[in-house]
Amino acid sequence: MRSLRHLVATLALTLAVSAAPARAQDPVPPAPPGMVVIPAGNYAPLIRTKDEPERVPVAAYYLDERPVTNAEFFAFVRANPKWQRARVSPLFADAGYLAHWAGDTELGPRVPAAAPVVRVSWFAARAYAAWAGKRLPTTAEWERAAAAGFTTDDGASEPGFPAYALVWFSKPTPDTLPAVGFGRPNFYGARDLLSLVWEWVDDFNTAMVSGESRGDTGLERTLFCGAGAAGARDLTNYPAFMRAGLRSSLRANYVVPNLGFRCAQSLPL
Amino acid sequence: MKMKSLLLSLVALTAAVVSRSADPAPAPACCAAAPTKNGPAPCCAVVEKKAPCCDELPSAAPLSARSLYQLDAKWTNDAGQTVKLASLRGQPVVVAMFFASCEYACPVLVSDLQRLRAALPPAVRAQTRFVLVSFDVARDTPAVLAAYRSKLSLDAGWTLLRGEATDVQDLAMLLGVKYKQDARGQFSHSNLITVLNPLGEIAHQHPGLQGDVSEAAKVVEAVAKSAPVAAKAG
Repeated sequence: MRSLRHLVATLALTLAVSAAPARAQDPVPPAPPGMVVIPAGNYAPLIRTKDEPERVPVAAYYLDERPVTNAEFFAFVRANPKWQRARVSPLFADAGYLAHWAGDTELGPRVPAAAPVVRVSWFAARAYAAWAGKRLPTTAEWERAAAAGFTTDDGASEPGFPAYALVWFSKPTPDTLPAVGFGRPNFYGARDLLSLVWEWVDDFNTAMVSGESRGDTGLERTLFCGAGAAGARDLTNYPAFMRAGLRSSLRANYVVPNLGFRCAQSLPL
Repeated sequence: MKMKSLLLSLVALTAAVVSRSADPAPAPACCAAAPTKNGPAPCCAVVEKKAPCCDELPSAAPLSARSLYQLDAKWTNDAGQTVKLASLRGQPVVVAMFFASCEYACPVLVSDLQRLRAALPPAVRAQTRFVLVSFDVARDTPAVLAAYRSKLSLDAGWTLLRGEATDVQDLAMLLGVKYKQDARGQFSHSNLITVLNPLGEIAHQHPGLQGDVSEAAKVVEAVAKSAPVAAKAG
């Protein structure tokens, strides 16, 4: 992983990053505590089907300011025993589920309460979100939030931001993850989006960049054979490629040592 | 360019190194769940009716850890009846996901299923249920599914189901079916045929269209031997 990240970072740093124009937003009701407003806007999918527009409108929504922590997930499994390590069905979470915790209901000294929870499956993440009265963000929502820079809503055209977005890839995942909430907030106030862990999205299984392109329909088939990224929108956006690659390789019961999540909420009607 | 595609492959490979091992854990027993307003046996077949399945099927036994029948969602068939997946318990099931207005892949997928069905010995065919579950939550009403049934001449051995969006998503996640609705309302989706054993566990998966389904047929035959009785499901 280390050498891969170095390679990616080095390559990407040598390339210019194209800008994606954004549009002005309407004001929305203030976000609930711990969440930030991601105003309505557009998401430009990295890879799309033949019939899809280049830009997909994304409605305004609320996003957790930071990823869900061990402490928060601990409270969830205490309240919902069927999501405890020993009880969860292997259909919904693989054997490595919360394997770094000291016990079913014990974090242990090596798992900081304030660090992001990882080794959680999509099913578990979604169950947590529902328990918290929230939901997982969609790919479009997450990518839209992560496309912002520190000072503008378009990180790609912000001097230095694309390079910043690659820093995380150049570092191996530490054995003990740092606490959430210490990343510099982006333009919308969201932290740690590009600097702490990978994050589950609700519709990760829409990413069809997979070895099973024979089994997919509707996509440009040649896109995924040999020439790999040839049909993609923005060849310079390596973090987005990495995320798409990861998402397409996941199954909903998989757990990964550096894959966590944060929740989202729709605006009140 | 080459570097980039190489990188993408590397990404996929690296990302594929995710934990992936079996460990049987105690399963939540569907039938042990609290009774619902529909009656005392929420896991049983046709919820709205008197659940005739319950006399025939060993549904009182707990579900196995890898049984898809742990999904507690309510589906609606093309006759408008409410159905739970657990009602399929006790027989081999071949399941695929589709949508009725699909122009290309789904008719081929259904024809693959028909080939698979034709390849089964008559006795096995009679006890095997073929299930089509729609992605199209908005448009595939029971009436649309019924029209699809008659258009493709699907007999009583077929069950056509629609469900709520989150339930469709859950099932797709468990089967490993990827899908995505495009701007025209069509779905891009994996073409995947899944064989479930009588316990509701995935016994075999066959990806792609117009392939050789003989392996899938063999698996259906093999799992049919473990079926307790030829169950009747609606």
